[in-house]
Amino acid sequence: MSERPARPARAVKLNVLNEPKDSYTGGPSSLCPGCGHDQISNVIITAAWENGIQPHRIAKMSGIGCSSKTPAYYLGQSHGFNTVHGRMPSVTTGAYAINKDLLYLGVSGDGDSASIGIGQLIHAIRRNMDMVYIVENNGVYGLTKGQYSATADVGSKKKKGATNETQPIDLCALAINLGCTFVARSFSGSKKQLASLLKAAMSHKGFALIDVISPCVTFNNNDESMRSYGYVKENEITLHMADYIPHFNPVEEVDVPEGHFRDITLHDGSTIRLETISEEHDPSNPMAALSALHDAEVNAKHVTGLLYFDATKPSLAEDLNLVDAPLLEVPDESLRPSKASLEALNAEFLA
Amino acid sequence: MDKIINDFTINIATANGTGSQSANLILLQSLFEMGVPVSGKNLFPSNISGLPTWYIVRLSDKGYQAPGDRTHIQVLVNPATWDEDLAAAEPGTVIIWNSDTKKKTVEREDIFSYPVPMSSLARKINPKIAKLVTNIVYVGVLAELLGIDQECLESAVARQFKGKDSAIELNITALGLGRDYCKENLSKTDPYTTESREVDRPQFFIEGNEAAALGAHYGGVQLLAWYPITPSSSMAESIIAYTPRLRSNDEGQANCAVIQAEDELAAAGMVLGAGWAGGRGMTATSGPGISLMQEFIGLAYFAEIPSVFWDVTRVGPSTGLPTRTQQSDIAMLYEGSHGDTQHIVLIPGTVEECFEYGWRAFDYSERFQTPVFGMSDLDLGMNRWACEGFSYPDIPMDRGKVVRDQKTFDAFEIFGRYLDVDGDGIPYRTLPGSGMAPILYRGTGHNPMGVYSEKPEDYFNLMKRLKYKIDGARDELPAPILREESECEVGIIFLGSMENSIQEIDDILEQTGMKVSQCRVRALPFHSEVEGFIQRHEVVIVLEINRDGQLYGILRRELPNDLVTKVHSVAYSDGMPPRARIYADLIQEKLEEVSQ
Repeated sequence: MSERPARPARAVKLNVLNEPKDSYTGGPSSLCPGCGHDQISNVIITAAWENGIQPHRIAKMSGIGCSSKTPAYYLGQSHGFNTVHGRMPSVTTGAYAINKDLLYLGVSGDGDSASIGIGQLIHAIRRNMDMVYIVENNGVYGLTKGQYSATADVGSKKKKGATNETQPIDLCALAINLGCTFVARSFSGSKKQLASLLKAAMSHKGFALIDVISPCVTFNNNDESMRSYGYVKENEITLHMADYIPHFNPVEEVDVPEGHFRDITLHDGSTIRLETISEEHDPSNPMAALSALHDAEVNAKHVTGLLYFDATKPSLAEDLNLVDAPLLEVPDESLRPSKASLEALNAEFLA
Repeated sequence: MDKIINDFTINIATANGTGSQSANLILLQSLFEMGVPVSGKNLFPSNISGLPTWYIVRLSDKGYQAPGDRTHIQVLVNPATWDEDLAAAEPGTVIIWNSDTKKKTVEREDIFSYPVPMSSLARKINPKIAKLVTNIVYVGVLAELLGIDQECLESAVARQFKGKDSAIELNITALGLGRDYCKENLSKTDPYTTESREVDRPQFFIEGNEAAALGAHYGGVQLLAWYPITPSSSMAESIIAYTPRLRSNDEGQANCAVIQAEDELAAAGMVLGAGWAGGRGMTATSGPGISLMQEFIGLAYFAEIPSVFWDVTRVGPSTGLPTRTQQSDIAMLYEGSHGDTQHIVLIPGTVEECFEYGWRAFDYSERFQTPVFGMSDLDLGMNRWACEGFSYPDIPMDRGKVVRDQKTFDAFEIFGRYLDVDGDGIPYRTLPGSGMAPILYRGTGHNPMGVYSEKPEDYFNLMKRLKYKIDGARDELPAPILREESECEVGIIFLGSMENSIQEIDDILEQTGMKVSQCRVRALPFHSEVEGFIQRHEVVIVLEINRDGQLYGILRRELPNDLVTKVHSVAYSDGMPPRARIYADLIQEKLEEVSQ
């Protein structure tokens, strides 16, 4: 057999698993051209690839809405479940109880999370279930053509219709109040920051919420909107630069930045390095995080970065007190109690 | 006066939260231990403490388990219902009453009156818990008047208060006070008495909910996700209670997860998540919970996710009568969720079947990749029924068409999640995490490859296949129980807990000379034997505990036209457990109506 000639020199870039980035892509997007959600999908692909996660060990979960359609556009080698409106957290919880070893990557929208599904979001946070929960937050319902959602800012005005006067729900503030163990806000246009936060969220054990401002180019990208590309770019307060150092890339080998920085070690040994730019922010202090959110709201700004982090709380897996292996791997013979055990029960009942 | 032995009904009127339930269960258990065929029904309010409760004990050598036509012995302890209960007593009724009750007395000449100062007797033991002890005093009085065996009584007390010696001692003392008061102060003039019976096969008492919970464990349930609701909570609580014993390793780690959800929607979502991930998930709820779960039920049907839902039904609509029994969720379960759907419903009529369907539900659900319902009701679920013991599953767990290894996977020429490879409408699936044939499950239209599609032929073929798939389950599901007379005159089709009343109904009807056959439906969609039963009989009644004849409606739609005219509905519900006489009368009326 003759040796095949070596491939041309133009090498495909591979990750730590020797996988090309193509192994992490999905189908073509059917969202509006320029949609913030597509930018987030690309960041998801990059983050999963760079983090060296086996694509089939990720479970893509979503509810209903423009954002919830996106799992078709990334990680084509992962199983996924596009569930029903606002109910992705419960389905994920059930799947997690059976197979706790998968990385659950939930994508939701502001309608899905802040309105119809707010109860399920709250209770998933309360259980500190291991999952990444991305809210692609544009302040409007896209699929039903542009109604305000519960996160629309007071004073914001979408392309058609009146100014929004109803108080918004700030999902990050809500999550911090609930004791969520990883709370971040970002902007679909800030790819580097978002990628670092997402990678860190993937390395976190517990519930990681990333609220991503993701402009709706069709219904909510006009100058009067506080969630348009232009507005967010002008009014973003970045808490810090965020740099993610994966566990397979020892932190000692990374150049130490000039000036003040803070390293946070994550569950899998990775590190997120926060380099302070605008102000001192201690992510372990919930009051500081709430205060940053409040100040931004008062000044009609959007604050981004890792707002709050807590590695001390047990996650749902520990609370359930299950056998070490995922329940999926428990053989049928062990799931069904023995015949002798039933005979013993019958005898006790008859005694 | 001739004695009336083992054939009468006792009604005990108390207030809930006073400990009357344990006293009543001791009475029931002691009769059971004497070998007397006996059944007990707890009519309790939706309340924790203070509202009226009645406990009905039926003794019947014929084995009738429904509450009888009338009360023969009335115990009056609750002043709130005193006048009403007394007025309802027919002449000749025995009235045992607490003569310490303020402003209440019994002044009727046409009854047997036994006044007992229950409160003062109870206070003698311990004034602080006199209210609780009062209940056990009336059991002592009944024991003396009816000749209940002391050994059986003491054994029943011991069973009720397992290992709590001081409680056992206190209760036996209180029983003695009731007995002694009776001996010393009352002379028996009424005809009612009990006699021990030889029992061929030993039996025990158990609630349907506990039986179904045990069944679920022997079905290897891996996730119970639930939200508390009467009358199903004790099923979930039994699963939890047996988990350490049946499902945990030496370190106390379980292979069955339990999550108390934030609501029924979330509970259903968790069950679907478990099924999607390849596990056995279930929930236990009642009608209002099923109403909330409809959206997920449709998703499970359409995306073909194994999932098990137990509905212990109660009286609807809306909050209805939360602590009373009814069979009114049949249509909702069979066709749950919007759009065209059809679901497998298992309908136990005995505690043995509660256990059996507890494990079988998972097999059916995984085999047919569809939601499966267990439909019990408050009567079966929360009352105690005699049981000879549970049978161990005779077949290994059926995990359905799951491709678990690469070799099997590679043998497929093409793999599509919704491709009907075998022609039975049941496709193959791979599991998340396996790396094989990943797809994005969805509740939107999809083609055989699992890809989003709005194409007319894709939608049409998918719906056709789903129908075909569930249709294929018919004769795989539990067949009806047939008890046929050779004459094949009147056939009665019924379901579920009506099993406990049907023989009495049958006997009442046969006293008029007609021949009655029985067909107890145990699953939906209907087994083909149901149609055969209808074909063989001259006239068929569909008997159910609801207003609208829901089972009848389904049957009528699915039967061939020439059989439809033979079938008639008798549906009745007033919230009470079914009394044979009422249903027998309604059947007779219907038969007269249709014969004209």
